[in-house]
Amino acid sequence: MAAEYGALLTPTSSARRFKANLVVVLAVVATAIALVPLASVFLFLITRAVGVLGIDFLLQDPPGDLSAAGGGIRNAIAGTLEMTTLATLIAAPLGILIAIFDTEVGGRLATGTRFFIDVMVALPSIVIGIFVYSLIVVAQGHFSGFAGSVALAAIMLPVIVVSTEEMLRLIPRPISEGARALGLSRWRTYASVFLPTAVSGIFTGLLLAVSRAIGETAPLLFTALGNNFFSTDMNEPMQGLPLLIYRNALNSAFPAARDRAMGAALVLVLIVLAFNLLGRWLVSRRKPGRSTGR
Amino acid sequence: MNEEVTMAIETPLRQVSPAPSDPVRSTEIDRAVVLRLRNVDAFYGTRQVVRDISLDITGNSITAIIGPSGSGKSTLLRCIDRMHEVIPHARATGLIEYLGTNLYDARVDPAAVRRSIGMVFQQPNPFPTMSIADNVAAPARFNGLIKGKNASADLVEQCLRRAALWDEVKDKLHQSGASLSGGQQQRLCIARALALAPKVLLMDEPCSALDPVATLQIEQLMTDLRASYTIVIVTHNMQQAARVSDRTAFLTMGDDGAGYLVEEGPTGRIFTQPHERLTEDYISGRFG
Repeated sequence: MAAEYGALLTPTSSARRFKANLVVVLAVVATAIALVPLASVFLFLITRAVGVLGIDFLLQDPPGDLSAAGGGIRNAIAGTLEMTTLATLIAAPLGILIAIFDTEVGGRLATGTRFFIDVMVALPSIVIGIFVYSLIVVAQGHFSGFAGSVALAAIMLPVIVVSTEEMLRLIPRPISEGARALGLSRWRTYASVFLPTAVSGIFTGLLLAVSRAIGETAPLLFTALGNNFFSTDMNEPMQGLPLLIYRNALNSAFPAARDRAMGAALVLVLIVLAFNLLGRWLVSRRKPGRSTGR
Repeated sequence: MNEEVTMAIETPLRQVSPAPSDPVRSTEIDRAVVLRLRNVDAFYGTRQVVRDISLDITGNSITAIIGPSGSGKSTLLRCIDRMHEVIPHARATGLIEYLGTNLYDARVDPAAVRRSIGMVFQQPNPFPTMSIADNVAAPARFNGLIKGKNASADLVEQCLRRAALWDEVKDKLHQSGASLSGGQQQRLCIARALALAPKVLLMDEPCSALDPVATLQIEQLMTDLRASYTIVIVTHNMQQAARVSDRTAFLTMGDDGAGYLVEEGPTGRIFTQPHERLTEDYISGRFG
């Protein structure tokens, strides 16, 4: 008895305490190191681009000659928003349905789909660009915003499938058995029980996919191509922010081009940021459930 | 707390071993058979978990299935509403007749079986994203039993009243079902099952996650529901079986690991004069 009390009163050895503290310190240092590039990129962009940004920059189209000063990036913002929206409309339903297929049907076919999706995640985006080029651009005989959207959708699809599958797998078994025991059809169970239960996770995955696609340059190079003029016609070549940044940064010897690239980069980052904040807000105010997260 | 609970607590619990001549229990033997089980076997893959169980379950009564862990009680219960086969590689054979229809006939839709035989689970499982009202009304709506707002509201009130939950939730019908206490959630699940107007209610250890007060509420509720439903309850709690059930079936695990039926009879007799030595050992706590 006395020995046990003694053990409780003996202070933890200093070596042991040192080790415990060391792990905490290492974790903090690692976090700081990870945040340094993120913060520095952001700060760099802000300091370089803050002079460029203004109403004109957002609402005017770029000059014909990118070495010329002035003009804005209106066409690129519109093109990026339009192409990303269409890409989301293509990829989200398809991705969620594939995820449902994989979790629900199972079997060899689902294993095959899952393998295919895994390969797709790892596929370099330029390869996807070339694939869509040969599939749509060559067939149609011209570059187009539509082809760009398809390429972006192909980038988004595997991200959506993987995250949705993960969320559907997290649905507690009592919930799914409850739905089964009420004789609900599988379609009904997904539409009214599973998807609403998993919606915040699915939505987060969707945001992740959008954030990734919106900044992709390579898939757009051979598909949307870029366009110096303002166009919302999906059948014509379309400008996008990454394309504009890419073309202008290539010519960064010209101060005007460099400034334009910096400004466009900051706008792109801010769009992604706004998107994420909006998404989180939408998820958090969802009615009525506010489930306990179990 | 509402009146019912207080009453339930004040009424002395029925003894674990009721008098053998308990008039209420012994006269209830020959009601119409609602569920007829014959030679039911159940498997997980190649492992047999239920062996050759034959059992008649009479209407408007409560049948308790008791037995040690692993004796196949829950599996047997899940065979009745074809929930057993939902688990991958699980299957059941034999005959289970519900009011004369073989539930395992090839033409029978398992979903239809589950709509007419309600089930309540060990873990309360209200749909977390649905309101209390929707938890009750939505499944009925999806299954085409009701249409329109008024019908929904009526059904919600009726089922919640029947599940003895109405007074506690009538002012917060639009809150999430997950916001209720465990016992309330379980009664909500019972209300949800009742909304599909089943004749049979299967309850798989419905009180094992609940505290004693909530347990008494559920037991009281079962006694109330007995007049209109056929209730089969799996329970680990022998006092519970003795308190609420009219008939008791005792299952145990054979040497091969498969559960089988030792004996079945009026609850009073099973707990006082079991025919089998195994039953006596189990109910007197001498088992395993």
